[in-house]
Amino acid sequence: MECGIVLRPFALYQASTVGEASEVLAREGSDAVVYAGGTEILLVLKEGLLRVGSLVDVKRIPGLSEIRADDGHLTIGATATHRAVERSDVVRERCPLIAGVARHVANIRVRSVGTVGGNLAFADPHSDLGTLFLAFDGTVRLGSRGGERELPLEEFVRGPYETARGEDEILTSVRLTPWPAGTAGAYVKFGVFERPTLGIAAALMRDGGDVVTGARLAIGCVTPRPQRLLAAEERLRGFTVAEVSRHADEVATLAMRDVEPLGDLHGSAEYKREMVRVFVRRILTIAAARADGRETDERHPHTIVV
Amino acid sequence: MNVIPIRSSSEIRFVLNGRAVALDVRPEALLLDVLRDRLQLKGAKRSCDMQVCGACTVLVDGAPVSACTYLAIEADGRELTTVEGLGGDEALDPLQEAFIDCAAVQCGFCTAGMLLTAKALLAEDSAPTRERVSQYLRGNLCRCTGYRKIVDAIALGGGDRIAQAKPARGALEPLRVVGRSVRRTDALEKVTGRARYLSDMEVAGMAHARLLRSPYPHARIARIEVTSARALPGVYAVLTGADLTWCEPFFGPALRDRPILAVDVARYEGEPVVAVAAVDEATAAAALDLVEIDYEDVPAVMTIEEALAPGAPLVHTGEPLAGHFSDLASLRARPGTNICHQFDYRRGDPESAFAGADVVVDDVYTFPRVQHYSMEPHGAIAEWEPDGALTVWSSTQNPFSVRAELAALFNLTASRIRVVVPLLGGGFGGKTYAKLEPVAAALARVARRPVKLQASVDDAFRTVRRCSARVRVRLGFHHDGRLHAFSCDADYDIGAYADIAPRVIQKGTYTATGPYRVPNVLLHSNAVYTNTTPGGAFRGFGVPQLVWAVESLMDVAAERLDRDPVDLRRQNLLAHGEEFAPGDTPVDGKLEESLDRVAEAIQWQAGAPAGRAKGVAAMMKASVAPSVSEAIVRLHADGSASVLVSTVEMGQGARTVLAQIAAEVLAIPLERVTIVSPDTSITPYDQTTSSSRSTTMVGRAVQEASADVIGQLVKIAAECFGVQPRHLRAEDSAIVGEGQRATYPALIDHHFGMRGGELIGRGVVAPGRTRAPLGGSTPFWEVAMGGAEISLDAETGAIVVESYTSVADVGRCINPQQCEAQDEGAVVQGIGHTLLEEMVYEGGALLNGNLVSYRVPRAEDLPPRLESLFVENGDGPGPFGAKGVGEGSLIPVSPAIANALARLAGVRLTELPLTPERVWRALRDRTPRPSGP
Repeated sequence: MECGIVLRPFALYQASTVGEASEVLAREGSDAVVYAGGTEILLVLKEGLLRVGSLVDVKRIPGLSEIRADDGHLTIGATATHRAVERSDVVRERCPLIAGVARHVANIRVRSVGTVGGNLAFADPHSDLGTLFLAFDGTVRLGSRGGERELPLEEFVRGPYETARGEDEILTSVRLTPWPAGTAGAYVKFGVFERPTLGIAAALMRDGGDVVTGARLAIGCVTPRPQRLLAAEERLRGFTVAEVSRHADEVATLAMRDVEPLGDLHGSAEYKREMVRVFVRRILTIAAARADGRETDERHPHTIVV
Repeated sequence: MNVIPIRSSSEIRFVLNGRAVALDVRPEALLLDVLRDRLQLKGAKRSCDMQVCGACTVLVDGAPVSACTYLAIEADGRELTTVEGLGGDEALDPLQEAFIDCAAVQCGFCTAGMLLTAKALLAEDSAPTRERVSQYLRGNLCRCTGYRKIVDAIALGGGDRIAQAKPARGALEPLRVVGRSVRRTDALEKVTGRARYLSDMEVAGMAHARLLRSPYPHARIARIEVTSARALPGVYAVLTGADLTWCEPFFGPALRDRPILAVDVARYEGEPVVAVAAVDEATAAAALDLVEIDYEDVPAVMTIEEALAPGAPLVHTGEPLAGHFSDLASLRARPGTNICHQFDYRRGDPESAFAGADVVVDDVYTFPRVQHYSMEPHGAIAEWEPDGALTVWSSTQNPFSVRAELAALFNLTASRIRVVVPLLGGGFGGKTYAKLEPVAAALARVARRPVKLQASVDDAFRTVRRCSARVRVRLGFHHDGRLHAFSCDADYDIGAYADIAPRVIQKGTYTATGPYRVPNVLLHSNAVYTNTTPGGAFRGFGVPQLVWAVESLMDVAAERLDRDPVDLRRQNLLAHGEEFAPGDTPVDGKLEESLDRVAEAIQWQAGAPAGRAKGVAAMMKASVAPSVSEAIVRLHADGSASVLVSTVEMGQGARTVLAQIAAEVLAIPLERVTIVSPDTSITPYDQTTSSSRSTTMVGRAVQEASADVIGQLVKIAAECFGVQPRHLRAEDSAIVGEGQRATYPALIDHHFGMRGGELIGRGVVAPGRTRAPLGGSTPFWEVAMGGAEISLDAETGAIVVESYTSVADVGRCINPQQCEAQDEGAVVQGIGHTLLEEMVYEGGALLNGNLVSYRVPRAEDLPPRLESLFVENGDGPGPFGAKGVGEGSLIPVSPAIANALARLAGVRLTELPLTPERVWRALRDRTPRPSGP
C-alpha cells in the first residue's frame, strides 16, 4: 500500500456541450470520469482508489447549473452547488426543505464547491441528497450524444457507488415534485462520523383537511442505497395527524421490517435496524407537529433536524 | 465538435490577496501545492487531505474551499484570499487580534483555516451565536485548544467586543512577568501564516521521498523488484531493507527491533518496505508504482488475546537488542512469546490483604487503540555534508534521542550530527523518539542530496498510536472504606515494534494506585506485540488506560460500601508530603483541595437535574525520572538575552513560559528575551519535551542560568560600586543597591572594557537516580481531577457531556491563560477517546486510517459548559512554585463520564470508547436493578 496523496497526471477536457462531454466519455471509456466540483472524484483519485487518464469537466456547459421551476416541478441542474441550492430563491420557495438540507451537507468548503449532480452520480451510500430527493419523487435526466432520457431516482442509484448512468452519459439535472401546499415534512440525519449514519426524509401530504392523503418516507445511509419505505407510507395514508403521532411506533416498526441494513464502521446491522425504528418514529412526530403548526422542542445528540 | 484536452501547463490568472497573479499550471496541479510551493505562501497547511480538517482552507471569491482538493486551474479568473492576505501591511485583522487575545492559538497548524472560515462566517452573520460558530466550524479541526477559545474569539469577532475577553488570572499574586497571562510569543507569526513548520521547509537541491508500505499485517517478503523504479528519470534513490548493509538497519529507544525498512518480514499493515527519493513527489509516487513485491502471508496476531494464546504466531523471533533509553536496562522479554517486556511490583502482603478485605471489587476494562492526529504529520529532512556530517531537520519532540539513534545507525559521533527542530504542528507524544528520521537519512545518503520525507495523515496512522490495553483491577476495602489491597494485571497491546512502549507500561503500571494510599499492592503488566501499528507515547503515557479501570471501580466500590464516591476517594487520598511509595517522591500538592474544588464546582452535593447525572474521577501521574535539562542564557551587550534550550514548541506554549521565567529572573522586559530553537549542535541537552516536564525541569534550568547571569552582574557591580554583593539586586535591567545603579549594558561594557562581549549563564537540572523502585523519582506529581455532568439519548445510546470541570494542581500558573488553554485541550482530547476515537482493524487491515472515518472531536463536541480550574499553592518543585500541566486533565475524563453514565442509566461500561452503539447495547441488556428501600 502507498500512503500519502498524489494526484497523477490526467488530461482535462473542458466540455462546452453535453454532446462534447459525451463524445469524450464514449471514446475514453473507463479511462475517463466526469468531473464537476471534484469533492468526491478528486478524493478517490488522490487516494489512488481510481486511476484514469482523463477528466471531463462539465461545469462549463451552459445552463447545467440552472435551478428552475416549471410545470409544477423543480429542476436542479447537475452542476448547481450545494451552496447555490441553499441560497436559491426558487428552491426556498418551492422546496424549502431542500434548501435547508443543503445547509447541512458535509462542511462549508464542500458545499461551496460540491455539486448536486456529482453527489447523486457518485452514489456514496452515506449521503443526504439521494434519500431526500426520493421524498420529492426525484427523477434524473441523463444526456448523451444520442439524446436524453429520464430515470426515476430509485432506478438510477443501484448500489454503493453504482448507478444506471451509461458510460457516455452525463447526469444533467434532477427533477423534483414539490409537495402540495399543506404538506408537513422533515429531514433528519444522525451519526457521529464525518458522513451520516442514517438519513431519513418524511412528508405528510394532506388534502386541505386533517387527513393524510399521501406520505413519503425515505431512508438512506443504513442501506446500500436510499429507499422508500412503502409499507410505512401506505399505513400512514388515511391517518389523521393525531393518529400519525399515536401510531408512530407501529409505523416505525413496519418501516424497520422493510430495510436490510449493512453493518459497517457506523454500526452493526442490528443497531442500524433499531435506529431506523427510532428515527422513523422521531421524524413522524416532528412532521406531525409541523402539520399542527408546531415545532417539537426535543433535541437529540448527533442529530440534525431540518 | 471536438474538445481539445488540457494535457500540459496552461496559463491561469487570478487575484491573490489583492494582487494579480499569472502562472502556468498543469491540469492536475492542486491549488494547495501551487500556493505553497510555487507562490511560497505557506499559511495554508496540508493535514487530513480529505476536506475534513480545514487546515488548507482558502477563500475563493469569498467562499471557503479546501485547497488540497481543488484544482489550481479552477482559480482562473477568481479572487483568492489566504491567511497572508488578512489584515493590512501594518495592522492585524480584528479577528487575528481576537485569536491572540483569546489564546485561540496553540500549535497554529489549524489557525489559518480557522481564521478564513471565520471570516466567511462573519461576512454572512456579523454576530453569530456560539452555537452557530460551532456548527460552521464543523469542517475545521483543532487538536490542541479544545475549541473553546477559538469559538470565543470568533463569537467576539474582534473589535470592541474583544474587551469582554478577560485573560485568566491565577490565584496567586502575579509577579512582574510570571503569573500573568501574557500573549504567546509565537502568536503573531501563527495568526499571520508566517510560522514555519517542518512541512514548510525546503533545503536547496532537496529530493522528495515516499514510502511503499506493506498491505499485509504479517508477511514474508519473497521478492522485491525495483529495477524499473530505479530507471525512472528523476529518481535518485530506491531503497529496500536488503539494501541497508552499509548501516545498522535496526533502531528503537527501548529495543532496537524496528527496521528502517522491513527486512525479510513485514510485521504490520502499513510498515514501510520500499523508500524512494525523486525530483518531486509525483515522480516518487510513479516510481513506487513500478515496484513489484511478492509477499508470502504469515499468520498474524491482531489482538492481545490472539497474541497471548498458547502457540500464537510470533511477531518477533530473534534476540532483542537493547536501545539507548537509560532506565530499561532491566528489560524482561519472555522468549518464545509475544511478550516484549513485563513489569512486576509488590508492596506489603496483597494476598492476605485481599483475603481479609470486607469488600472486593474486580473487573476487566479495555482501552482502545487511539491515534494522536497531530494536525502536522511527521516529517524529516536529511542532508549529508561532504565531510560526512549529518544534519536532520525533524518534527520531533526529542532531538537528542533522535541524535542518539542516528549516531548508532550511521556510526557517527554525537558531535557530527545536528538535529534541528522547527515549530511542531502538535505532538501529544506521537513525535517522541525517532520515527522517519532514519529512513530520510538513509535515502539522503544514497541519493547524495538532501531528502525530505513528509508523511501524510494516513502515514501517521501507520507510524505510531496509543497502546491499547486490557486491564484487570481488583480493589480490596475495609468496611470503613479504607483501601487496603490493590492489584492490577494489565496487558498493553504495543503493536509490531516496541518504540518506547516498555517504558509506557512500566511507568504507567507503577503508578496505578494513583492518588490513593494503599499498603498492599500487587502490580503486573505485559507489553504485548501484535501485528498492528506500533504503540508509543501518547499524552498520559500509559496512565489513562489504568485510571479508566481504577476510577470506574472506585465508584463501583462506593456503591458496594454504600458510600459517597467523593467521600470514599477523599478518605483514601495521600496526604501532602506523604511518600508515594517507600523511598519515592512525596506528594507535592494538596490532593483533598483538588477533589473538594471539583465537588464544589460541579455542586456534587446538590445532585443532578432530571435526566442528568454527575461523575467524578481523580488521577496522579509521575513525570519522567531520572531526567536532565540544561539551559544557557546569554546576556548580550545591549541587555537583551538569548535563552538556549532544547524544548520543542509544539503548541503547548513552552517558549512563552520559558521566556517569562527568564524575563522575571533577569529583570528585563519579556520582549527582550528570545528563545533559540532546538538545534543539537547549538542548544544544550534536554531529555525530551514530554511528560509535562518542560516548565518544571527546563524552567528550573532557565531560572538557574538566569540567576547565574545575575550573579555575574552583581559581582561586576559590586566591584564597580565598591559594595558587598549581598546589598545588590537586579531591577529593571539594572543592578541597584546602596543608592547606586548601573544598567546591564553599562556593566557589560565595564567588564569587558569595550562595547561587546556577553555574559553566559548555565543551568543544569539533573535529579539523577534514586532508590525508588523505577530507579528515579518523579520530580513532581501531576494531579488532575474531573467532574462531568452528562445526559443520554437512551434510544440511540448517544451521550452528551453537558458540563465538565477540570481541576489541576499546578503549584503556580506561570501563564494562567495558557494553562487554561492546555487544560481545555486535554479535556476535549479525553472526550475523544471516551466517546469517539478508536482505530478499527478488520482482516488484518486498519479500516479507518483517515479523518473521514476516524472521528476526532469537533467544535460541536465541546461541552456547553467547560471549566478549567487550578489549585495554586506555590508548592511545586518548578520555578516560582510551579509544576507540570498538560497531560493530567485528559486522564480523568473517561471514568468521570462512565461514572456519570452508571449513575444515570445503571449501566457500567468497561470498554472505550462509549460509542452510541455500545451504550445502546448495554442499556438493552441491562438487568433491571432491584428497587431501592
